[in-house]
Amino acid sequence: MQRLLLMGLNHATAPLEVREKLAFSTTQRRCALRGLRERFPGAEAVILSTCNRVELYVSRPTHELPRPEQMVDFLGRFHQLHPDQFSPHLYHKANVEAVAHLFSVASSLDSMILGETQILGQVREAYDLARSEQSAGLVLHPLFQRALAVGKQVMTQTTIAEGQLSVASVAVDYARRIFDQFSDKTILSVGAGKMATLVLRHFAQLSPGRLLVCNRDHRKAEELARRFQGTPAAFEHLSQHLVAADVVVCATGSSEPIITAELFEPLRKLRRYRPIFMIDIAMPRDIDPRVGELEHVYLYNIDDLQQVVRQNQSQRNGSLEAARRIVEMEVNSFGQWHRAREMGPMIEQLYARHHRMAQDELRRTLNKMPELTDDQVAHFEDLARRVVNKLLHDPVQRLRNGQMPHGMQQTYVHALEKLFNLDPPTTPKQDDDAEGPSAT
Amino acid sequence: MSPNAGQLGLLTVSVIFFAVGGVLSLLRVFRQKPGLRLPAKICAYFGIATSLAVLIWHARMRGSWYPLEDNFDALIWLGVLLALFVQYVQRQRPLAGLDWFIMPVVILLLVAAGIFGQISPREYIDSTWSIVHRVTAYGGAAVFAVAGATGAMYLIHNRRLRRKTIRPEFEFGSLERLERFSMASVTLGFALLSVGLITGVAQAIHMGPYTRLGSHWMTQPKVLLAFAVWLIYALVLHTPINPRLRGRRAATLSVLGFVLMVGALVAVQFMPGGTG
Repeated sequence: MQRLLLMGLNHATAPLEVREKLAFSTTQRRCALRGLRERFPGAEAVILSTCNRVELYVSRPTHELPRPEQMVDFLGRFHQLHPDQFSPHLYHKANVEAVAHLFSVASSLDSMILGETQILGQVREAYDLARSEQSAGLVLHPLFQRALAVGKQVMTQTTIAEGQLSVASVAVDYARRIFDQFSDKTILSVGAGKMATLVLRHFAQLSPGRLLVCNRDHRKAEELARRFQGTPAAFEHLSQHLVAADVVVCATGSSEPIITAELFEPLRKLRRYRPIFMIDIAMPRDIDPRVGELEHVYLYNIDDLQQVVRQNQSQRNGSLEAARRIVEMEVNSFGQWHRAREMGPMIEQLYARHHRMAQDELRRTLNKMPELTDDQVAHFEDLARRVVNKLLHDPVQRLRNGQMPHGMQQTYVHALEKLFNLDPPTTPKQDDDAEGPSAT
Repeated sequence: MSPNAGQLGLLTVSVIFFAVGGVLSLLRVFRQKPGLRLPAKICAYFGIATSLAVLIWHARMRGSWYPLEDNFDALIWLGVLLALFVQYVQRQRPLAGLDWFIMPVVILLLVAAGIFGQISPREYIDSTWSIVHRVTAYGGAAVFAVAGATGAMYLIHNRRLRRKTIRPEFEFGSLERLERFSMASVTLGFALLSVGLITGVAQAIHMGPYTRLGSHWMTQPKVLLAFAVWLIYALVLHTPINPRLRGRRAATLSVLGFVLMVGALVAVQFMPGGTG
């Protein structure tokens, strides 16, 4: 039997300072998945790393590795951190709880901004990456496919994502609280990725005086600048651009801060102490938090902006309840499907063994009663089959639909294996079940 | 000339109107009842109308239509000008929260008029210098009240932005607008106060020891406070040359200048010959 484990931290359990230390870039995720497979060959793994969470999903045979403490050790080793630095912020879930968590995550019910749609793309990306690294297998394939379907179902069948404030719109709102007009302002984007594009799209609507796009890859900067009628700016002259800028949007993939207090402090005089609004939506952060302590600097990171979105969002109680119901139903459905899939071979063995025994005993009895007609023999055979089916019905049903805790279920399965001398069940072929349970 | 009971009663009605308007304005925000905007506005306009009625009645009783002829008259004019200014700004380009800061000043001025109008009903006007001095000094004070209010709003808004504790219902406009508003008020107030100080000094020099402030007029608290206010606002005006002062520091100085200005106004009431 397979055991599903989840180890992670999110915006509710860990501050930004901890999350950014554990965050994985795409390249790092690939390395980590390969590392995990090398260290624990029998395990499947998916790593979900967003600005709000870092989660490691692992599926492995019940009595094999990794155990939770080894997953913590793996995360620590990978990021060269001592487990004490992050383990108090970790949560650990297994089996049904892990499934419920993933479904909630994909449905944005666990997001800082309820109803945000970006998370669905991030879950898909995590799954695609694991698939390309061949680290998702018999359990994680159907699990993530189902999670994506549930997320989509929640977004389309409820109103949870309607009237949604975004981080970008909140950033613009804050800019309006600092600046009155933008026709004489310069907006600088450091980074030309998806997040920067998203925020720039909102800022471009303010018709700023100048829009600069600064990126290490100048070609990408040119592309983005062209899109918003801006000007590409050389990354090497970042200091000069910071002198000119009134609003700075930072969203690079850099693992170290790009704008440090040491860099920015001397620029304030050159800026003639003009106020500057800095938006750091990168993970890990691009702007040293000490910059925000300087006078005339208004620095907002992803948590600050999301907090505002969360405060401002309407309760959406109705849609929230509806979304929770969908998730709950899908978790049960997936659980049943998964149990049936895992126990199917064992139950088949159980029935086959008992029918075989019944047939053997019946044959022995029938040999002593040669006067019986074919019809009568058929009746006896039918009787034996029905007796076996009736005897096994209750325990099998309980195993299939059982609402029992995972440990108990495992115990029952082992007991059955031992008591009835069954072979341990083999996992069905991936091709048969990769699609998972049908959508409800 | 002291106001009569009827004028004081009407002034009280005016204060009540302003107070009710202010309370309604706050309730509109706290209880999130946008429908209270109109009643709050109506109360403010009624407050202005009743204050003007008091001024007209007082002028008729005095038999002179010159404004600022006595203490009672001057303080009410100051309050009415401030209230009109708030209504003008809110009509042209609303600056949310401005009324919360200025209306209490208006109420205080009207209450002060009621009190000091009775206990020191001195007649002011004795020369052209005096008229110019009073108009510019009181005009300057009114404009500095606006600068002080916007300065306070800047400080609160800036603090909330830095601490990231913005509450949407307490919107004060943008920092840039508050700063611009404050600077414009300081510039105008500084010009008016400068003229007020020059004419006051000219009058004192012209009258010599016969001025109501006496021969040591230069050391009178009112004069010293007025000069301190002038210096503070001169420093604020210095901001474009020394941008290090801009923002929080300039706003703090604006508030400080207004506090000292209030001190000077109080000194006018209590100092011997203070109104001279």
